[in-house]
Amino acid sequence: MFKKTYFLATVAVATLATLTATSTLPAQKPLALKGAKIITMAGDTIENGTIVFRDGKISAVGADVKVPVEARVIDVEGKTVMPGFVESHSSSGMSQANETNPIVPYVSVVDSIDPMNPYFRAARRNGVTTVRVSPGNSTLIGGQSAVIKTGGEFIDDMVIKSDAGVKISLKPVSGSRMSHLAKLRKALDEAKRKLDKKNKDNPKDDSKDKKKADDKKKDKDDKSDKDKKDGDKDDKKKEKGDKDDDKKEDKKEDKKEDKDDDKKEDKKKDKKEAEKKKSAKKDSDKKDDKKKPEKVESELDRAMFAILSGDLPVIIYCDKAMDVGQAMRLIKEYNFKASLVLGRECHKAAKQVAESGLPVILDPQMVFFEEDPRTKEETKIVLPEIFRDHDVKFTFQTGRGGRTTLGNSYFWYQAATAVKYGMPVEEALAALTILPAKFIGVDEYVGSIEEGKDADVIVMSGEPLGVGTWVEMTIVNGEVVYEKENDEQLKLLLEGDTE
Amino acid sequence: MQVCLALVIAFAFLCPQIKANDKADEAKSKTTLYKASKVYTMDGEPLSPGQVLVVDGKIKAVAESIEIGGGTTVDLGENSVLMPGLVDAYTQTPLAANGTDEITSEVTLDFQAIHSVDRDKNTLKRQLRLGTTTANACPGTQNVLGGTAAIIKTMDHGETVLVDDGAMVAAMCNDPAARNFSRSRPDTIYVRQPTNRMGVVWILRNTFNKAARASQANGYSKLKQTISGEKPLMLVSRMSYDIVTVGTLADEFGFKPIIVGGEEAYKVKDELVERKYPLVLKYDNPGSTTGPEGSALCWNNPGILKKAGLTFAIAGDNLLEKAKFAHRFGLDADTAMASITSIPAKIIGVSDRTGKLAAGYDADMIALNGEPLELTTSIRWVMVNGKTTENQKEN
Repeated sequence: MFKKTYFLATVAVATLATLTATSTLPAQKPLALKGAKIITMAGDTIENGTIVFRDGKISAVGADVKVPVEARVIDVEGKTVMPGFVESHSSSGMSQANETNPIVPYVSVVDSIDPMNPYFRAARRNGVTTVRVSPGNSTLIGGQSAVIKTGGEFIDDMVIKSDAGVKISLKPVSGSRMSHLAKLRKALDEAKRKLDKKNKDNPKDDSKDKKKADDKKKDKDDKSDKDKKDGDKDDKKKEKGDKDDDKKEDKKEDKKEDKDDDKKEDKKKDKKEAEKKKSAKKDSDKKDDKKKPEKVESELDRAMFAILSGDLPVIIYCDKAMDVGQAMRLIKEYNFKASLVLGRECHKAAKQVAESGLPVILDPQMVFFEEDPRTKEETKIVLPEIFRDHDVKFTFQTGRGGRTTLGNSYFWYQAATAVKYGMPVEEALAALTILPAKFIGVDEYVGSIEEGKDADVIVMSGEPLGVGTWVEMTIVNGEVVYEKENDEQLKLLLEGDTE
Repeated sequence: MQVCLALVIAFAFLCPQIKANDKADEAKSKTTLYKASKVYTMDGEPLSPGQVLVVDGKIKAVAESIEIGGGTTVDLGENSVLMPGLVDAYTQTPLAANGTDEITSEVTLDFQAIHSVDRDKNTLKRQLRLGTTTANACPGTQNVLGGTAAIIKTMDHGETVLVDDGAMVAAMCNDPAARNFSRSRPDTIYVRQPTNRMGVVWILRNTFNKAARASQANGYSKLKQTISGEKPLMLVSRMSYDIVTVGTLADEFGFKPIIVGGEEAYKVKDELVERKYPLVLKYDNPGSTTGPEGSALCWNNPGILKKAGLTFAIAGDNLLEKAKFAHRFGLDADTAMASITSIPAKIIGVSDRTGKLAAGYDADMIALNGEPLELTTSIRWVMVNGKTTENQKEN
């Protein structure tokens, strides 16, 4: 029953996607922006430059660029054009950011993202064109992140990378840090054992897995957009099918795990493992008859293997400074390809963070006060200052604002704050664009204005980070997805409903 | 001006001798000249470059160039900007944690906020470092008529009280009713009127009636002063209909209120223009869509009120930040700056000492490293009565 609906849905979706793809693609005329100051984030800034988009890509940029005759030309004289901002860590835009089961590396934010969520409208209004949506910070192994564009009405049109990292949170939600880490290690060790065994049994398997992960990435070279989408969909179909098969088993496992108690744990684990092996064998035997020659892994196993083999990066959330040390140990032990999302207290481990050389995403609250427990004296902590002093490469994320200002809920405001405390403007702009694009592995497509990259740019009314500067136009994949002059909601909020 | 210069020259000659003889005296007669690339005096056009001469915690002169013979000269260097210390016309931040609201009685006319001021409070120190030098500490709005406000400087103890028994603060909003309602059941002794807005208005009207009838020398004398205009009356009102009710009551009793909060003032701007009430806007979290009491926020509330010709201050914590967003959302830069300096000083009645950089004013200033309203500008130090926060971590 389930399968059937799924199948029908996928077919419907696939047809729909093909339809829209064929109907919109030929209609997209080349677009040119003329006369702006272009901050390319790839070399020099071009004064009075022109930029041409074709088929969703930047086809030309420079001071002296020929505009194709058939192109729609927008005069942006006196404006500033920049690459669209890239937010490398956000749990917004989802219907629920945190899964309640502790170990769910197989779930994906793609299934949860709501393109109609107000977040996306605000993102376009504030110049964010690409965002890596990650599960929240309250699940042990929280699921897979995806890099998506902020323009689009259907998630499949937005995703550019669906295996953009699994979130591991070192913040215990309930219980002690000891049990939190023990649970994490147990899950990792178990998967590691299985993976080792699997590699021993079938040494060639690894490469296949890798290929599969790569497939999901946006294919730049020769496939057309349409092909890519269809390919992606097939992949997803397969995955979903598999997921259904394994769902029941996983659930059982989870329940069992929860019930496990300290002392009996090991014994039970062994037993369970034996059981699982049996059932897995049975399972695979059954399926062998049908099609697949190799052993079928559970969705959980597959995700865990991908993490352990480095195919799937992990995003480690460190809540406190002490978690940074734990993160380092985990990364070393399990060979994670990792990046760090740091809670605000982690500045105390800045040295350790610096030594790791890992990509860092700072806490949204970048300026705050710490109170001495005895004297009650307050010290002001400025995160960008501290991490710059330690030569850490970092980018920002947005928060929910404070008691008196919503400032930190705007991505660009975070960069302005960093500049306020000594970061050079160019560095701050890079931390909004190319640097996060590199962090999340999409700098081949976004993050700077260069020929061949995605046509994701914003047109601003003045200098970026200026208090009176507004994003006037946001372009994603060569399509205008936001115009301030047509932003009726903004007009209402600025003018009131006074008629 | 010339007298000034003469004085300065006299000081210059006297200083070395004083230094030798009496250290305490030297501290008292301190002369410092601050040079900046721009000075926003809030008293006419900004000076560029500009200099401010501070003697004994007072401003002696402000000009493009001032000659002094002695004392200290502080050159703030390139891109430096000086502006007056910020004046917060309505805040509870200086009040001790448990010192804002009386909840056993709806009318506590003789309660004074000054007795609740906690100068060691960390949140107050933060506001100082964020530029607020003068604060109108007001009783809260959990009861209807909370008592009188006190105007203080935000640095140091004791000697910096400007007004100890200032404006009467009253709630013409849902706060008292909401608080009473939260006690839920009417069979406890804690439940009392009002539990709705009608009740709030009734208590206000009833109390004003009593005050109007009362003789001078009784418990209503402070309220009487608000009716006669000797004492300012601050009414906290956020929703459009509450602001209209303030007008109704004002007409009945003949007082001229200052409206505090004013989240929905843009909706009733015409009524306000007619009555010329000054406003103190809370303007918390500009950029969100709903405010306290579920008010419908308009991000450009200040800009709309300015266009209508109304006088308003912006108040509360993080003043400079609020002014930045008011400007971003449509208020012109000059008014945005004035709404956190000279205008609030005028509204709360301390414009002879604060809110401007001019000769004779208190030496309350902020040194910044760029245009005050830019988001990338930080505060270097804040000065109150000639003393700076320089040793504290920069803001």
